[in-house]
Amino acid sequence: MTRDNISVIRLRGILLVTVPPEPDDETVSSFQEKVLDVMASNEPRGLVLDISTVQTLDSFFARTLMETVQMAALMGTPTVIAGMRPDVAITATLLGLSFGKTLTARDMDSAFDLIVEKTAEDLSR
Amino acid sequence: MTLRLNEDFPINEEGDIVLARRLVREFALQRGFGTMDVTRIVTAASELIRNIYVYAGTGVMRVAFNEDGARTGMELTFSDQGPGIPDIAKAMEPGYSTGKSMGMGLSGSKRLMDDLTIRSVVGKGTTVIIIKWRSK
Repeated sequence: MTRDNISVIRLRGILLVTVPPEPDDETVSSFQEKVLDVMASNEPRGLVLDISTVQTLDSFFARTLMETVQMAALMGTPTVIAGMRPDVAITATLLGLSFGKTLTARDMDSAFDLIVEKTAEDLSR
Repeated sequence: MTLRLNEDFPINEEGDIVLARRLVREFALQRGFGTMDVTRIVTAASELIRNIYVYAGTGVMRVAFNEDGARTGMELTFSDQGPGIPDIAKAMEPGYSTGKSMGMGLSGSKRLMDDLTIRSVVGKGTTVIIIKWRSK
């Protein structure tokens, strides 16, 4: 799998990236690069990382996801991690993974709402 | 590359991590483990296979099933001839890592599974055995 297989959709100024289900380490790394590249050229108001197809979230993959969220924050873009499956959520918690203050949502709809809310807050400041 | 029960599956390159993980998933599903358990087993396996790759370079994984009266246990063994772990108690502490990882691999795997045993000799290598039981 290469970075061309990573789907990125732009919808109402928000970038929606589908995280591949069973990526090898190389794909995980190129996923991060691709997200940052696309953000630089699109200047989106938000980023949604859809992990609804991810079956195995180990500490390596989780760390890359968290790094990506931090990098997006440095570039001024709020990010929401969306669609974590229940078994993955339980496993991540038992594993001891911490997602800190990362915004999370059950599905795409709520993820979009969160970003709209977040951007409105920033504008009103 | 296929994985046979009770036989060593080699971990030699980075691509083997995903491959080994996929095979563990198939075996667990075949033996009737539920989604929750399968996700736990595969995630623990992923951590331990990565430990082999990162710390020892190469090693092997072995899958076995134990029948114990009313229950079936999936037992995964990860062995390498790497540098070994000088202080196992310390290595089991959450957040402790000599590598660049988050240090969740061993402690996290123990929480995900029903049992985790480590044998390690410095300079000789490390063997980690994990077990998940399923009621019949």
